[in-house]
Amino acid sequence: MSTRVVVTGAGVVDGHTSGLTSRLLDETEARRLSRICQFTVAAARLALGEAGLDARGDLALLVGTEFGDMVSTIAFVDGYLRGGPVGVSPLLFPHTVMNTMAATTAIAVSAKDLSLTLNTWTVAGELAIARGAAMIRAGRIRACLAGGADEPPPKVVQTIREIGGGGDVRSDGAGFVVLESLESAQARGAAILAEIVGMAWRALPARPHGIGRGADSKAIAAALAEAGAGAEEIGHVYTSASGDAEREAWEDAILDRALAPHQPSRRALSLAAGRHSGLAARVVVTAAAEAGDGLALVHAVARGGNQVAIVVAGPGARRERSSPRPTTERALA
Amino acid sequence: MKSVAVTGLGVVSPFGAGVKAFWEGIASGSCAIRPITLIETEGFRCQIAAEVPAGITGSGRRSRADRIALAAAREALDDAGIARAERADAALIVGAVGGGMMETEAWYWQRTRAGAAPMPPALTSCFPSSHADVVGSALGLGGPRETIVTACSSGAGSLALAADLVADGVVPLAVAGGVDALTRICFMGFNALKLLDPAPCRPFDRDRRGMSLGEGAAFVVLEDPRRAKARRARVYAELAGYGMTGDAYHVTAPHPEGEGMARAMRVALAQAGVAPGDVGYVNAHGTATLQNDRIEARAMRTVFGEGRVLVSSTKSMIGHTMAAAGSLEAVATVLSLVNELVPPTARLENVDPEIAFDCVPHKAREVTVEHAISNSFGFGGQNVTLLFRRAG
Repeated sequence: MSTRVVVTGAGVVDGHTSGLTSRLLDETEARRLSRICQFTVAAARLALGEAGLDARGDLALLVGTEFGDMVSTIAFVDGYLRGGPVGVSPLLFPHTVMNTMAATTAIAVSAKDLSLTLNTWTVAGELAIARGAAMIRAGRIRACLAGGADEPPPKVVQTIREIGGGGDVRSDGAGFVVLESLESAQARGAAILAEIVGMAWRALPARPHGIGRGADSKAIAAALAEAGAGAEEIGHVYTSASGDAEREAWEDAILDRALAPHQPSRRALSLAAGRHSGLAARVVVTAAAEAGDGLALVHAVARGGNQVAIVVAGPGARRERSSPRPTTERALA
Repeated sequence: MKSVAVTGLGVVSPFGAGVKAFWEGIASGSCAIRPITLIETEGFRCQIAAEVPAGITGSGRRSRADRIALAAAREALDDAGIARAERADAALIVGAVGGGMMETEAWYWQRTRAGAAPMPPALTSCFPSSHADVVGSALGLGGPRETIVTACSSGAGSLALAADLVADGVVPLAVAGGVDALTRICFMGFNALKLLDPAPCRPFDRDRRGMSLGEGAAFVVLEDPRRAKARRARVYAELAGYGMTGDAYHVTAPHPEGEGMARAMRVALAQAGVAPGDVGYVNAHGTATLQNDRIEARAMRTVFGEGRVLVSSTKSMIGHTMAAAGSLEAVATVLSLVNELVPPTARLENVDPEIAFDCVPHKAREVTVEHAISNSFGFGGQNVTLLFRRAG
């Protein structure tokens, strides 16, 4: 039987909680790190603090992001355009690589297992959480921080709109959940906020940066199969709606078909708060809290076709699951 | 980890398009590092790199990096004989860093200097995830799709994550690899860090002065071995294990003792159930920076013992291709097992005395190796080791 994966901590730093950041960083971090790296480190510490996990070497880190540290990247480029080769800052250069948030956070919390940065439109945080959960379930890692971080510069958001990349409302922030095995959480007496009972990510047919025509979803079916649950058991759905009307209509059609005839209620945190990749952490724990002793579906789809489905059980759910993972035999069938 | 079969290879390298050109180039010890033509270099200390030669076709609406990625991925699928109907559930994992930044930079430069500039279609491909969306859409890959950014180990990491999905039975096959085209940001940044040699790089040499940049893409098809056998596919090698670790030490510098690097190699060995003495060849990260080469050698000595394995650096011939490096070097490692020939380290005149290994200077070495590893390390202390086993 595969490992059960639970959430034992969550931390989000964004418009609602950014005042916390200064209290969670040391003096050097506050002086040296870029704003988005500060958010990321602070969110990681919040999540670890709630989970009651000390910094330890075998922690893995999965950071989803749409934009990386684009603010620093633009500052780096502007340095050259203003001053030529002598205007290029060697200190800013590492921040132009999207893994800068993961790198600084790994150092801050001594995470020495694998560290992944996953880049994709609008589903990056959900993808990081699904990937992290799958790795724990398969026994590849023991515990991880999984979530995301973004700080999209307004002129980049505007350019994306102008080139037809969607009208999503974006915001700044970072967020993580702490994922570990149920066995590990119970052994150390940790409070369980949620259980990830099924997760899958797939690509739907769509042109790059475009909306797909079809509404068939492989990810939702795979996540439900992994959870050993039927669509009728899903109490509610958290969607990835964040102001891109075309994408939202596509997501509605996908959910209509995947869950039919059952149609649980749908809501989206990003509609109210603005989307950033760390929001996925808040969505997962909120969906689980509302699920009580039932199940909820966290769903996200991006322009270009990336789709993530995560089935979460509330902290009250204690049923045994058969977890019929997709096997090679089934994949080959 | 259950081994997965490598059944297809595809490359676009500074030697041109195709696996054949790549292998002929590195097996002969040729150097593809030349004066840069793609971007302005005036005022910078280093003005050379290994560029992909002209001739990569594809829509002008796509970024150069997308076109390079698509050509390499298509070759890998064709090489494996995977028909379009078989691709619906195939995973696609891409390692990337620069995305389509070259075109975005050109637009931004013009807009800043001239006050206005028309938006090019390739602007939509600015971010690293563009490659996966373009390749997945064009080639009909409908399984899990991921873009990983672990700096210079991204390409190797893509193979590791894809192997997970195949080994766990989530998908029957996966296409995985890395891509990076030369960008101004990368060129300026490494110049600013003073990590570039004005002359072609000399990994492991006592007198080395830094790295050379390069560009390219390499993709592999990874497949469940039973599926490969059932369809009588050619199996180049098995990916038998991998290690991914973090230094958690410094944003740009590796841990001075190579602790994270050694751990990645040990994890890969343990996953594959292979003893250090069974590994005959290491395709090193081998960037030719003072720090990296010595620390990598230190880590290899810890794991394998002094002088116990052959070591060479593909970067001596094609430069450091950033996110593509790990996958290009994985292909080089696989082909060294297949062809029973270890590619050389070019321009290696005087081995650094602190690098106590046979670094295969100048000329490829004929040798049959059962297991070989490929090391890739990136900014942020992101270490990846892939372990390949000769096909049985």
